[in-house]
Amino acid sequence: MLASVNRFTAERRWIWPLIGIAVLWALLAGMTDRFSLHSLAGVAVSASFLLLPALGQMLVVTTGRGNIDLSIPSVVTLAAYVTVTVSGGDEARLPLTLAAVLGTALAAGAANAFLVVVVRIPAMIATLATGYILATATLLANRQVKTSGTADTLAYLATGRIAGIPVVLLITGAVALIAGYTVARAAYGRRLAAVGQSLDAARLAGIRTGRTITIAFLWSAILSAACGMLLSAYSGGAFLELGERYLLQSVGAVVLGGTLIAGGSATAFGTLLGAVFLILIVTTMQIAGLPPGLQDIVQGLIIILVLSAAGQVATRR
Amino acid sequence: MQLTTPPQSAPVSSPRAAPALSDAPALVALSGIGKTYGSTRANADVSVAIRPGEVIGLVGANGAGKSTLMRILCGATEPDTGTLAIEGRPVDFSAYTPRAAHAAGIRIVWQELSLCQNLSVAENFFIEQPGLTRTRPGWRTIYRRLAAEGLAAVFPDAGIDPGRQVAGLSLGQRQMVEIVRAASDPALKLLILDEPTSSLDAERSRQLQAYVRRRAADGLAVVFISHKLGEIVDVADRILVMRNGRLVRDDRAADASVARLVEAMGDPGAAAAARRTRAPALAGATVRVRIDGDVTAPLGRPVDLRAGEIVGLAGLEGSGQRPLLHAIFEPDKNGPVKRFGDASFVSGDRRREGVFALWSVLDNAAIGRVAHWPALKPVSRPELKARVRPWTDRLGLDAGRLDNGILDLSGGNQQKALLARALVDDADIVLLDDPTRGVDIGAKRDFYVVAAETAAAARLVVWHSTEDAEFLECDRVLVFAHGRIVRELVGAEITEEALIAASFTPAEAVAGDARNRPGPRPIAFLFQTVPFVALAGIFAVMASINPLVASSFGIDLLLTPAVALVLIALAQMFVVGGSEIDLGAGAFAGLVNVVSATLLVVSPAIGWAGLAGGLVGYALMGWLIQARAIPAIVVTLGASFIWAGLGLTLQPSPGGAAPPWLAAVASVSVPGVPTPLVLILLAGAVAVAIDRAPLGTVLRAFGSNPEALARGGWQPRRYAMVRYLIAGGFATAAGLFLTATNGSSDINAGSSFTLLSIAAIVIGGCQLIGGVIAPAGVVAGAVALSLIGAFLASLGISTDFNAAVQGGLLILILTLRGLAAGRSGHAG
Repeated sequence: MLASVNRFTAERRWIWPLIGIAVLWALLAGMTDRFSLHSLAGVAVSASFLLLPALGQMLVVTTGRGNIDLSIPSVVTLAAYVTVTVSGGDEARLPLTLAAVLGTALAAGAANAFLVVVVRIPAMIATLATGYILATATLLANRQVKTSGTADTLAYLATGRIAGIPVVLLITGAVALIAGYTVARAAYGRRLAAVGQSLDAARLAGIRTGRTITIAFLWSAILSAACGMLLSAYSGGAFLELGERYLLQSVGAVVLGGTLIAGGSATAFGTLLGAVFLILIVTTMQIAGLPPGLQDIVQGLIIILVLSAAGQVATRR
Repeated sequence: MQLTTPPQSAPVSSPRAAPALSDAPALVALSGIGKTYGSTRANADVSVAIRPGEVIGLVGANGAGKSTLMRILCGATEPDTGTLAIEGRPVDFSAYTPRAAHAAGIRIVWQELSLCQNLSVAENFFIEQPGLTRTRPGWRTIYRRLAAEGLAAVFPDAGIDPGRQVAGLSLGQRQMVEIVRAASDPALKLLILDEPTSSLDAERSRQLQAYVRRRAADGLAVVFISHKLGEIVDVADRILVMRNGRLVRDDRAADASVARLVEAMGDPGAAAAARRTRAPALAGATVRVRIDGDVTAPLGRPVDLRAGEIVGLAGLEGSGQRPLLHAIFEPDKNGPVKRFGDASFVSGDRRREGVFALWSVLDNAAIGRVAHWPALKPVSRPELKARVRPWTDRLGLDAGRLDNGILDLSGGNQQKALLARALVDDADIVLLDDPTRGVDIGAKRDFYVVAAETAAAARLVVWHSTEDAEFLECDRVLVFAHGRIVRELVGAEITEEALIAASFTPAEAVAGDARNRPGPRPIAFLFQTVPFVALAGIFAVMASINPLVASSFGIDLLLTPAVALVLIALAQMFVVGGSEIDLGAGAFAGLVNVVSATLLVVSPAIGWAGLAGGLVGYALMGWLIQARAIPAIVVTLGASFIWAGLGLTLQPSPGGAAPPWLAAVASVSVPGVPTPLVLILLAGAVAVAIDRAPLGTVLRAFGSNPEALARGGWQPRRYAMVRYLIAGGFATAAGLFLTATNGSSDINAGSSFTLLSIAAIVIGGCQLIGGVIAPAGVVAGAVALSLIGAFLASLGISTDFNAAVQGGLLILILTLRGLAAGRSGHAG
């Protein structure tokens, strides 16, 4: 009995964040009547923004060898600045804005992939370096920004609702669905998992490892840039620390969701639950009125504790 | 040193130990040993006594229980039942660790190699026998001599420099080092060799056998495990045969023959392997591979490999067979090897180049097909099962095991799954890289049959093997020597004698030894100087613009901001030395900054307790990472929030003051000597001292091969804590320095240093994978990075570009390093 339960949870590691969400929700509902449907929608929207870079981080982490995308905060912030600078709130410039954001993402992702795949620099160093360069680009963009305002379509995507459901939730839900299919059921997902378990074995099995890794970095940058674009539309502008929290939180959502941090096994559904769980924790702490320092400590502790609890699963060999 | 000097070319079949030896008391006596794993009975009622001076051959199919028995004997596994006595004294298994076995003189050379690749040969000797030195200068020399003498005694003219990094050695050379390392233990009484010759060529195997006989004559007991049965019959006094976990035969070697051993091992296909009889491939068959250029120079013509053939690649280990195989798999566009058709690859190095450990057998086999599908094509397991089944059936792999995890299978069955992967791919060419390494004879036969069927189905099979007998399965054999194909043997010409004769073609007879390429050393040396050159360049430019920079005052002003980065970078370096990374070092320095400017001022006792608590926290973090086997990058990222949160709670906004004594210490200066320069050099000297000491070597070793160190008796958790304690110490120093110079505290004071410290250690020449560290380079790199802001300002460039220049410098240096490594063929 116990053994079969163990196997069930080992294969479905997303079960843990789900339990966490349920417990926290129950606690909140019992603890305070301030936790209304309205704040639930707030959690959903925040989790949606987080889910985009978290799915990207998941793809990069799954390529294995300790790979991680440290450039995510810089890409989020820069994309927000590009959105504000290029669109200037003018609806007519929306296509141009989309092209500019996509171009920024592709450039950042391609630079990361090039450094990792061709130059063979460890991913964390490569993304650290591109992150530095993107940060400078952001500083320069910060000096250019004169206008503020958001194109109507973008504002609708970020803040609109369909039948009471936030549009951004529908968008990220669809993205998560596609990511889930790709990772769990499609040929690319198998190749990604193979590369993450053993690069040499994957290469000798005939997998084009460079292409597989490149795709992961490109999507990480595209999803992060999409997050930045929507965030700027949501908050009506851009600021230098906009993307900062997405480093810890993207990794946190991936870890809490049960994707193996050592690579080779990913779950998009788990990442979704992880993102919701993490945002729920932060919201709970805000509602409870915890000072910011304590909030940081709790976030850090939870990630370490969850990782420690999952440790044995991660080392199964 | 107990190594005997080698009598020149002692014959292998030297006189056996006299039977009288059998009256000697047993060195070790195992009795009634039993061990089960789940439903598998690995050992059942095994009793065996080994006397001094005996050479015991241990044979059995894969899964027969040999490895389990040896693991029990050397303390790595605790049996369920049975007893062990060493020199008559019974052993308590619960206290019998690998270290206890070492102390009793029992050593094993594992089948999977257990050297630390980032250490030199000599340092690897230290890891095994730390007892020869206490921390003192010159301790390396002792081990260098030990390694050199040991190698010369076992493998004369092996040409392995004890100062050389193991990473630069071939597989065969590493195996030699490993054997010699175990054999040179002065307290050695029983040496267990598990597949010692799997990567050795015939000559080195012969030298090893001769050495084993010599040591046995001096009273050393040796257990020799090998699938090469002829070798066992040659070297052993007594041969033990295991089957299904039981000891089924215990004979004098003189009475044994390969045929009788095979029979005893219970191999179903025990009948002597019939030589492959098949019409040789027609000359008109499709050419699948054309080999031209230098490698075929001795033959004077290009070599064509055709559909329907099995072509063997023979020769001494490391003579160029493997590079050719890889060149066929991934041909260089303008290279001498041309491939016409698709290729699939099977490696004998299952652990590194074969299995996907998280997957089932089915997934492992099926990836061969999925590899080429469009990215979004759905993967259907039933469909894949239908494709894989025919091949696994043909290979004799039980269909019921397709859903098992791949690592639940024995080595031979894993290899069958990997062969199925290559065959299910429908490739025109199947490349086999020593596929039967460490595989039992039954599985080997299945292999040969399928290889023949594959060729008969008009595919080309190219087969590299380290076992000459396997070439009898080939239609054609290309024999390598010194990186060139020196002979082509066809059909009946393929005999073991002919293979050996061609393999030993002297170097002079081979035009231009392809392996004598210039090594990566000069380039590597060049790159060690990069951080120093960068620093000198930046400083020179700044000094030429403003001569005041080079004054004592100028240096003081410029270097003050560098001290904290140097200290945090050194903290980072020790963490990186363990193949880990610390994303919280800067935040921790910030926390120390806060604690020392608030608590330490208000109440020194609480302040000191807080700082000590921080160090304990760091050590605990190291313990947690090790104990739970979780990635440091995420733990330290989480910890960075804890450090920052603690600091923010202690002091919500910047303020505080430096304790008077700290301010006083910081203001001490020798006239004319810039204090920051002194501090930086001091920090660097401390780091160098730690790294060069035996402790530093152990820490680096853990960075590369923690399993081997744990087996050697080193405590992983203790050293993880020590590592993080050292890192925490440097970060604490950085925090105190910030307090002293700023005279106040700010929890964010250290945050920018984390990523910069990583940049500094990389520029300084550390490698994230493999635990290679360079304290002097790190110091120079950190100083150079911290000067960039002032450098840009002196050039009149906006400091907005500070980060971009730092990032660009990082990329530039790594790109150059990567290109240099790529050119010297160090890609793997």
